[in-house]
Amino acid sequence: MSQSLLIVTRQAPWSGPGAREALDIALAGGAFDLPLGLLFLDDGVFQLAPEQQPASLALKDLQANLQALPMFGVEALYVSARSLNERGLSDGALQLPVEVLDDVGLSALFERYDQVITL
Amino acid sequence: MSTLHVLSHSPFSDSRLSSCLRLLTPGDGLLLCGDAVYALQGGTAQRAALELMPETIVLLALAEDLHARGLVQLPERLQLLDYPGFVASSIAFDKVNTWL
Repeated sequence: MSQSLLIVTRQAPWSGPGAREALDIALAGGAFDLPLGLLFLDDGVFQLAPEQQPASLALKDLQANLQALPMFGVEALYVSARSLNERGLSDGALQLPVEVLDDVGLSALFERYDQVITL
Repeated sequence: MSTLHVLSHSPFSDSRLSSCLRLLTPGDGLLLCGDAVYALQGGTAQRAALELMPETIVLLALAEDLHARGLVQLPERLQLLDYPGFVASSIAFDKVNTWL
């Protein structure tokens, strides 16, 4: 049985490679049927924000990769309620079906996985 | 001496914005670009702080960075810039302080 992996993505989508790299790890792991989860934390929640227009920066769209997660078998998607609230984002408007967790829920989530990587 | 303060980092991950707000004096400008435009996100403490700035402070933002991040319902006082406007603003103020 493979060890389970929690990937924590905490960088905003358009300023550096961090957000895309975390997503690539999740998609690669999903392709190999690894048991993994993806947690959107801190500025990482901006990846889920509505009405983004990457074309205005001539950048590739992260949204397409995000939407591919369920197809790659990555269905354990979580987001921090505190991070959403601090940034004025409502969980109803997000781009993906994610489970919203409070701080207690986050601690339990980290407990549940064998390994954790944070980008 | 007027200063244009240029912020480009997310206001949720460090204290550049709050430090900068304390330094502003009448006639200064605050230009948001890159992840700093997230300060304009509605319903946040950062947005409230920007709205509370005296009218003597000019609030500017780079339009393409705003649009990429899907920010809407912007404050009325906000002036949107393209890159030529960015250059023009940099020249219009006596000094530019870039918060790298």
